[in-house]
Amino acid sequence: MVAIPTGSTASKGTGGMLADNFRENRSIFVGISLLILLVVFGALTVSGFLSVQNARSILLLAAFLGLAALGQTLVALLGGLDLSIPFVIGSANILLPKLMNNGLPPSLAIILIVLLGIAAGCANGLLSFRLQGQALIMSLGVGFAVQGAAEIYTSLNSAFGGTSFAPVPKWLTNLAAFNGKTFGLPIPPVVVIWLVLTVTLIWVMRNTWFGRGVYALGGSRIAAARLRISELRTWVTVHGISGGMAALTGVLLLGFSGGGFVGVGDPYLFSTVAAVVIGGTSLLGGSGGYGATVLGALVLTVLTSLLVGFGLGYAGQQAVIGLIIVPMVAIYARIPQIRNQI
Amino acid sequence: MNRAANRRVLAHYGYLAVPLGLFIVLTILAAMRSPNLFTGTGLAGAVIVAAPLILCTLALTPIVMVGRGSVDLSIGPLMGFVNVTLVAWLTQGGFTHPLAIFAWAMGLGAAFQLLQALVILYVRVAPIIVSLSSYLVLTGVNLLIMPRAGGLAPDWMMAWGAGRSLLSPVTFVVIAALLLWAVFWRSTLHGHVRLTGADERMAYTSGVATEKVRIGAHLLGGVFAGLAAVCYTGLIASGDPTQGANYTLQAVTALVLGGASLSGGRGGAVGSVLGALNMFLVANLLATFHFEMISGAATKLAFGLILVVSLLANALTANRMSTR
Amino acid sequence: MTPQNEITIRLKGVSKSFGETRALRSVDFEARAGEVHAIVGENGSGKSTMAKIMSGVLLPDQGDVEILGRRPRNPIEACDAGLATIFQEVLVADEASILDNLYVGRDRLLGLKQSRADRVGEAAALMQRFAGEPVDLGAQVGSLPLSMKQWIVIARAILRRPKILILDESSAALDLAATVRLHEAINDLRNAGSTILIVTHRIAELVRIADRATILRDGEVVGMIGKQDITEENLLAMMTPADRHVAVSKEVVRLPRKGAVPPVIQADTLRLSAGSPDFSFSIEPGQIVGITGLDGQGHDAFVRVLAGIAAPASGMPKVRTPAGVEVLDCLAAAEKLGVAYVSGDRKREGIFPDQSIFENLAIGAYSQNLSSLGIIRRSSLGQMFQQEVSRFRIKIGRPSNKITSLSGGNQQKILIGRAFARRPKVIVLNDPARGVDLGTKRDLYAELRLFADQGGAVIYLSSEIEEFLGFADRVDVFVGNTIFRSLKGNMLDEDEILAAMFGQDRSQHVSFVAKDVAS
Repeated sequence: MVAIPTGSTASKGTGGMLADNFRENRSIFVGISLLILLVVFGALTVSGFLSVQNARSILLLAAFLGLAALGQTLVALLGGLDLSIPFVIGSANILLPKLMNNGLPPSLAIILIVLLGIAAGCANGLLSFRLQGQALIMSLGVGFAVQGAAEIYTSLNSAFGGTSFAPVPKWLTNLAAFNGKTFGLPIPPVVVIWLVLTVTLIWVMRNTWFGRGVYALGGSRIAAARLRISELRTWVTVHGISGGMAALTGVLLLGFSGGGFVGVGDPYLFSTVAAVVIGGTSLLGGSGGYGATVLGALVLTVLTSLLVGFGLGYAGQQAVIGLIIVPMVAIYARIPQIRNQI
Repeated sequence: MNRAANRRVLAHYGYLAVPLGLFIVLTILAAMRSPNLFTGTGLAGAVIVAAPLILCTLALTPIVMVGRGSVDLSIGPLMGFVNVTLVAWLTQGGFTHPLAIFAWAMGLGAAFQLLQALVILYVRVAPIIVSLSSYLVLTGVNLLIMPRAGGLAPDWMMAWGAGRSLLSPVTFVVIAALLLWAVFWRSTLHGHVRLTGADERMAYTSGVATEKVRIGAHLLGGVFAGLAAVCYTGLIASGDPTQGANYTLQAVTALVLGGASLSGGRGGAVGSVLGALNMFLVANLLATFHFEMISGAATKLAFGLILVVSLLANALTANRMSTR
Repeated sequence: MTPQNEITIRLKGVSKSFGETRALRSVDFEARAGEVHAIVGENGSGKSTMAKIMSGVLLPDQGDVEILGRRPRNPIEACDAGLATIFQEVLVADEASILDNLYVGRDRLLGLKQSRADRVGEAAALMQRFAGEPVDLGAQVGSLPLSMKQWIVIARAILRRPKILILDESSAALDLAATVRLHEAINDLRNAGSTILIVTHRIAELVRIADRATILRDGEVVGMIGKQDITEENLLAMMTPADRHVAVSKEVVRLPRKGAVPPVIQADTLRLSAGSPDFSFSIEPGQIVGITGLDGQGHDAFVRVLAGIAAPASGMPKVRTPAGVEVLDCLAAAEKLGVAYVSGDRKREGIFPDQSIFENLAIGAYSQNLSSLGIIRRSSLGQMFQQEVSRFRIKIGRPSNKITSLSGGNQQKILIGRAFARRPKVIVLNDPARGVDLGTKRDLYAELRLFADQGGAVIYLSSEIEEFLGFADRVDVFVGNTIFRSLKGNMLDEDEILAAMFGQDRSQHVSFVAKDVAS
């Protein structure tokens, strides 16, 4: 987890070291094995599964999911869940065309929307702080209110409710489309952005006071308070990041689809949670990380692609993903028996 | 002594003040904006439209009361599941006898909740995650059973939705559900559920069979979910696999609006019914404004804000009571 | 009714482990009807585990528990057998009424309720007897003071008319007068033929009331003594290993003190709560000051004030620094002024269970190794970690192993290392030796002595008197939210401290010879 100084005091056999390594990074091992298993299985059973085309689309879809699940991971590390993410995604997705129609330059509109997302997230964090178990219901309420407001605003003087259209700038389309190119390479830039963000976030979580504070608070609130780690500030910051990332995802999804639709975020309500859980971040807080979620997002996307290959529709995919969640959580975050809580 | 007694009543039922006050205000507003709600047919229609939500909220109540933050997010899809199976399997298969329909609905609801309770207890995964998983599975399965809204309810149900009289079958189902709640309320199970929800460790060490109590709470919730599905089937006279998410959100909001604590121990039928009625009245009021295209968005905004405000109000009243 | 002298509870070869820690090793135990039987041991000796096993909460790994001829496997069966337990933690439902709290678990799941009128009658009488005034049984428990909650928990057990009653450190929140009322109730139960098991580490309490005592040490029964042998000396001797009292002083050579040194922390007219008496406190560099008292007498609140965690009602403590005298009014001030805090409640306010050993120690030093952007400078941390680990001779595997892979004692050493990593001038320890083995204690005393001799100041709270002997320069005993007596020099011995804890002055000779309260 951290850069470890050398010179351990106890000598252990290689086997012991391996076992230790496995215990520490169990979620990473499980995630990678699952990923390899799924890819091999897909390659054997679905024709064209290993094509460049399919790999590119998997990476692109995983990037959207990964970006949306970034905030979810941080909130989960604190022991919460942010259910407002899909609503913020949808709001951003319809607000951008509306703002561009109103004459705002695209880049300015995007910055404004991301800032609004951060504001919505911070509001969510402030309102749900100290609500403990009810925090996620609060985020649901905030999400609904935000989306309702965004929808009303975009519907004013418009013939459509819940959708909005404007010419999407070429660079935004290139950013997020299947055939997007990064400096001439045939990889959608979103994937590269995702990669850069992943590396940055993992570094930040390891090497900053903020990052260590998130883990400390998730592990033990009181012990963290003794070290002067502010719970309120961290909680609100993390929710702000979650809101901002959701808004960014909504913006990028507009580049992907070309038209604003308020329901575009809906699948992300549970898929962000699923990516976090499958990656191995404990929903009880304090353990896991964004690296795990990246794996979770990849596993989930490959699995979905596999299910599509088998001819399963959206409904069937949902059911299968739902069935995976409980066993995955059971691996990483079982609640202690009541006998041991007394 | 009288003052002490008053204070005691306030402490026990004080949480009802907010939903009751809101109910009165909303009723007055509704009477002003849409007077025909208070005619015979208006009320009859209101009961039929509000019944599924009332029963869904009632289904959530014991499950939330028993604690561990077990808000059952899957309640809407569960109602949908019973609804589509009623239409796609039973009615198609010719099993349309009222007894068969009711038994299937309540049995399926209870069986599913039993499954959830067992997973919560023995796989030891947080209830909210279990319900999240159920939500996804049921939403998917509902669509697999019935890809789009359609089908027909049993013949004897077809007229329910049109109900012109206040004494419609739906009214009787709601009354029966409330009677069932009254029986539960008088039983020892109620006290066990409340105290388990208030402090599970205390209940366990004091010899309460907390596992059985949790199973009981879920079974009861399942029966109410089944009844909700029957009323819902009557309301739309067909099957609809898509309304689950809506009902979950509305029922959770209604529950919070009714003053129940999502962390357990506090709540009851009166609050839940009031909460559901308030939700109905809000929707009704919004409809009178003829928002046309943005009506969906306006409802979303309103429900979202109500949820936020009532959560905060609950948190504040809970704080005030414990510091007094 | 159980005939007198019949054996009601019997443990045979009971063992229980929690991971690496062996809490109980092949314990044999029995108690009879009509006796008050004390189970005594230091913190961490396994007595609480034993109570939980007898009440069905925990199942033994090996061995057999027989209660009135049955073998209960959970609390429900134990309650059915006629056993009631009052746990150390005050378990009440805040959102329910007193009456509901008193009768929780008394109704069968499917069955009839006992009539409410009956319940109100007996409960009101008992609560009035305990609380000393009429109690409104309909009141919400959440709004009641801790002492009333404690009464509720006690009354809940007694209302069951148990054949076996287990009290696990149950008088924590009660004052002296209340403890007497509790003892009366216990005597009534005994006379009615019940078995009462008192699980405690507080010797003075059971010297008065117990008929027999079983002594636990490191998870093993080391002896059982009858009423005539229950004296403080005997109990202490059996609870603690013989070599304990020479734990520290021989290893460390004390540096000569040069004249009067100005105090590093000083507090005048400090009031812990609005209505409590004020007092003053000071500690000099090089001093080790012990803080003690019976539970709930304010010593715990006081060390929290010194650590900057809690604020006093008035009279903030002041810290002397080279720059001048500054007020210690919050955690930020404590950190800036070099005051570090170590809690013995490792689980609640100490460790981060999911994090590595390294992280758990180094996190204390992060705030002093930050760049302006909040980035941690890791270069010096590895060396610091090695230094602290070797200083406390902590046995660890790899630093990247989880903290929970260590024993309780080693976890505590890591936490003390965390405090030392901040390079403090004053270190405040709140019962740090809780559940820690003797070897660790010894290392701890030696390191703290060394720290003091190098000019640091140590404030050490403990409820175990023996910890201070040969270690502390002074012991401040708290009674009623104020320092009742400050003992040093030749006044610093067990009897004096014990007497002071019970609010008795040295001029009166105190003896805790067992009196037959029953007669």
